Amino acid sequence: MLLELRGLQKRFGGVQALKKGDLRVEAGEVHLLMGENGAGKSTMMKIVAGLQQKDGGDFLWQGQPVDFRNPAEAQQVGIAMVHQESLLAPHLSVAENIFLGREELLPFGFVNRPKMMALARRLIDEHKFPLQPEWRVDRLSPAGKQMVEICRAIQHGSSLLIFDEPTSSLSESETHQVFRIVRTLRERKVGVIYITHRLEELREVGDQVTILRDGETIHSEALRTLTTERMIQYMVGRPLSSIYRREPIPPGKPMLELKDLSTGPLLKNLNLTVHAGEIVGLGGLVGAGRTELCRAIFGIDSVDTGEIRVEGKHVRIRSPREAVEAGIALVPEDRQKTGLARALPIAANVVMANMESVSNLGFVSAAAVKQTTDKAINRLRIRCENGAQLAGRLSGGNQQKVVISKWVTRGAKVYLFDEPTRGIDVGAKVEVFEVMDDLARQGAAILMVSSELTELLQVADRIVVMRQGRFTGELPGRTTQEEIMHLAAIESSEKVS
Amino acid sequence: MIQRLLPFLTLIVLFVALCFLSPYFLTETNLSSVVRQTAVINIMALGMTLVIISGGIDLSVGSILAMGGLFGAMAMQSGKPVLVGIAVGLLTGCFCGFVNGTLVTKLKINPFIVTLGTMGIFRGLTLLISNGLPVHQIPKEFSYLGEGRLLGVPFVLWLLVICALAVHIILEHTRLGRYAFAIGSNPDAAFYAGIPVNFHTVAVYSICGMLTGLAGMIEASRLMTGQPTAGQGYELQAIAAVVIGGGSLRGGEGTVLGTLVGAFIMGLLANGSDLLGISPYLQQAIIGAVIILAVTVDELRKRKLG
Repeated sequence: MLLELRGLQKRFGGVQALKKGDLRVEAGEVHLLMGENGAGKSTMMKIVAGLQQKDGGDFLWQGQPVDFRNPAEAQQVGIAMVHQESLLAPHLSVAENIFLGREELLPFGFVNRPKMMALARRLIDEHKFPLQPEWRVDRLSPAGKQMVEICRAIQHGSSLLIFDEPTSSLSESETHQVFRIVRTLRERKVGVIYITHRLEELREVGDQVTILRDGETIHSEALRTLTTERMIQYMVGRPLSSIYRREPIPPGKPMLELKDLSTGPLLKNLNLTVHAGEIVGLGGLVGAGRTELCRAIFGIDSVDTGEIRVEGKHVRIRSPREAVEAGIALVPEDRQKTGLARALPIAANVVMANMESVSNLGFVSAAAVKQTTDKAINRLRIRCENGAQLAGRLSGGNQQKVVISKWVTRGAKVYLFDEPTRGIDVGAKVEVFEVMDDLARQGAAILMVSSELTELLQVADRIVVMRQGRFTGELPGRTTQEEIMHLAAIESSEKVS
Repeated sequence: MIQRLLPFLTLIVLFVALCFLSPYFLTETNLSSVVRQTAVINIMALGMTLVIISGGIDLSVGSILAMGGLFGAMAMQSGKPVLVGIAVGLLTGCFCGFVNGTLVTKLKINPFIVTLGTMGIFRGLTLLISNGLPVHQIPKEFSYLGEGRLLGVPFVLWLLVICALAVHIILEHTRLGRYAFAIGSNPDAAFYAGIPVNFHTVAVYSICGMLTGLAGMIEASRLMTGQPTAGQGYELQAIAAVVIGGGSLRGGEGTVLGTLVGAFIMGLLANGSDLLGISPYLQQAIIGAVIILAVTVDELRKRKLG
């Protein structure tokens, strides 16, 4: 047995991210780790890779109890991880990133650059990646960065390699390249743990499946004998009929219109209309330009040509300030960085976009702030002690609700939700959907970016697909329960792109 | 590419312009004095380049310079040989840098704050130990360090070239240098790659301290005194040299050549203003404007690439 985890536990502040993590991985096995967002997959793997330390439970490596204090210790025994988010040094070259922390050395601490370049080139050629070892990493696309991460892990991980959703930013042919690598590793008797929630991927590579839900290992079985339906049952943990699905309402007048919108190097001639009461999903791969479109509509990036109309009126938006005045709200992708003032109390976040309503002659009324905040807490069911609690202390789902409450308090006509459910647990996800539904019912238009097709199908009335800065297709959102399930099972990146 | 070379071109244009504008500029005496004046800031700036590349900053170098110079001078005053005195200065600087690095990594406090604090601490201790008085009794030979010549060239220029080559080699060809870039570029990536981030951060601050100690000895040699008040405001000049030369205060970027060019641009601006009779008050404003201009051009270049 290469790796064995028994009853692994991990807490972050008030959130028990991992309650009972069990996992057994053999050498030469591709082990799929599955579960919804927030199920505890990444946390469990970060403990294995030495990025985090367990709070309780047993962690055995080749039969011996271990507890890695840092990534270097895990790397020493041959464990490496391909991270979901890019963990590269942008100013350094591809070769230097591949060998980061494990440089080829000459005496006296000199680095052997020619040798690293040659080794990197061999590695890149072997796997036919479109990279050059001397390229600087900050010039690479998300997919290119992902390939550098993979090269690095192959270079370092001699016994166990962990892939944390490595294909989320890759095209189909690149994805197949990754699968080929995984198979090669298996032949070399390397243990592979592959985290994914895209069901279509697993039949191609997996041997064994372990499913997590809400921080607990629910089930483990050989892939051959496990049907897709049972797999979904285990992941979701409830009968499929109870999956949230929005009941659409008849759309009203056009609220947001894009006419031939082009901006920056990426976005080209985008036309879109979102009506009152409508939720339009924006699907596609990471890097397709969905976030850039939200940024352009919200005035963060300037619009080169074309126009934006709100309620039929042409609006000129050159800054978020003007976007807000035009009635547009953005719930950004990176909640921690751009959505929330984490060190401030909930109340300060709630009234942030709407100071006018709680102040008089420039003086802020504490009573009005409290009243507004309490109303928002009730309306969005934010679970907290009171409005004075620091926003950063809340769980991911409640943090997101605080971000949304900022705009709900102000009241917008058009809401842009960029990956609104990223990193929040299943229950809170549904509550976020319900808030979106509620806003739509009150006459707002909603544009929602998500990388999860299942999620878009649950919520959106129709799904516009984006690829390389253009709209490339449209899927109906109103599908039956069975269709959602079917699509989830064969959820194909190519369908979305 | 042209914009990348801009600091270099600016330096050449400045040099040529001064040749035409003042008959006294292209004389051996004047150029030697430019080199000598600039060398102190230049050597400090080399250490600062390392620190800034690793994503840090060191505001305490002015105080370290004074402390190193003072302790070295005190050692010589007490009868120790010149070389021992110089070693004391270097080690003092190195130790101060070690303290900075240790505080930054152990307390996990922003280096700006840490070195703002140690700037006061080092200066205060220097004044306390010297009672605020300069140290004068220094052997004559010591003046060679700052004022001597070797093969017809100011000795400090040799020192500067050696230090610059050493720092360049550290940055480009050793693990320490590559880790400095990695840590400044993305500290999380560096940590996740298993790099001993704290150790290398401390090493970078220590080297910066040691180079500053050397600058302190050169300053002491030129004045032939150990001045407890020496080096005030030098930290900003050193930072400015790095930034004019393309270093980024966000870390991950900077070169030795750029820093040298940056320091010489400021040196020539000061010298040129003196020769042309421009008020020293206006000089400060000119150099300030140049710093902002240089960084603006650099930012525009990066945005275009971004």
